[in-house]
Amino acid sequence: MTDLPHGAAWLSFDGGALQAGEDSGRSFMVDARCLEGEPVPGAFAHVCALADEAAAVPYDQPEVQQVRRDALAWWIPLLGDAFLCLTTLALDESRCAGAITVMREPLRLDDDPFARLFPATLVETDLFCEVPPPAGPVLERYAGVAWPGGTFAS
Amino acid sequence: MTEGQPFPDLDLPDHTGRERRLSELAGGDPVVLLFSRGWWCPKEQRHLRELAALQDEFEVAYTRIVIVSTDPPEVQSAFRAGLGARFTFLSDAERKWLGRLDLLEESDTTHKPYRPTAFTLFPDLTVHHRYDGFWYWGRPTNEDLRQDMRAISSRVRGDFERT
Repeated sequence: MTDLPHGAAWLSFDGGALQAGEDSGRSFMVDARCLEGEPVPGAFAHVCALADEAAAVPYDQPEVQQVRRDALAWWIPLLGDAFLCLTTLALDESRCAGAITVMREPLRLDDDPFARLFPATLVETDLFCEVPPPAGPVLERYAGVAWPGGTFAS
Repeated sequence: MTEGQPFPDLDLPDHTGRERRLSELAGGDPVVLLFSRGWWCPKEQRHLRELAALQDEFEVAYTRIVIVSTDPPEVQSAFRAGLGARFTFLSDAERKWLGRLDLLEESDTTHKPYRPTAFTLFPDLTVHHRYDGFWYWGRPTNEDLRQDMRAISSRVRGDFERT
């Protein structure tokens, strides 16, 4: 199992439910800020990922870069006040297994750009907290932490 | 604010209406902070299109762009979308910081906008360079910004040059 970099946390997905930690289903590294604050009960996670271990693409692939651009340009603004947090799902230093956008109410789900990478599942959850949206325009990951998490600040 | 001085940690709503702080938007990276008259000014439209063209480099270079104007968030959001920008706009529609920063454009008594001014900042918000852009040619070109980001990055990234 990959060592957990600073700023990352484990999250598991079995195809229908999400769980903090790496004990249930397929495990991903996420932006730890999404799980560190006061959880928002009854939120909705749009999980664009599969439980299949083989479902992954390199972060550097053009389509993975483009969905992050789309998230910054219009996906997050489209969600408005419903937006709670967003994290890509990292498997290791180079591979992306999808992303999760968490919102207060299910909104504009057909527009989620990350659904172009992997099919989406809507999951009701109490795990996530509110995180300020990424400032942009940075797409690169900091020391392998799932985008948009991480920083080089000491 | 001049070179070497700390820039105030602005607290303003972004283009979606969320309260943000400049230090949070910097996130430990070098920043271009640009005060803009607003969407209605053709000089601002031209200059921000130029800046939007530079974001493809900023997105892979661990550097940030932040725009401040007196436009309300919903106007900024529409302007940002029209530009295809992926960086953050901060709204000072209430003129909260305009006076404190001494950046009022006194020649425009209709809009009472910011005087076009750009700063390049270190990650801790120390000013690296200031550009007074009332006259269009006083504004930083994209090449100026590349040079500033290189200079700042070389100072703050310990492994910028391999020895």
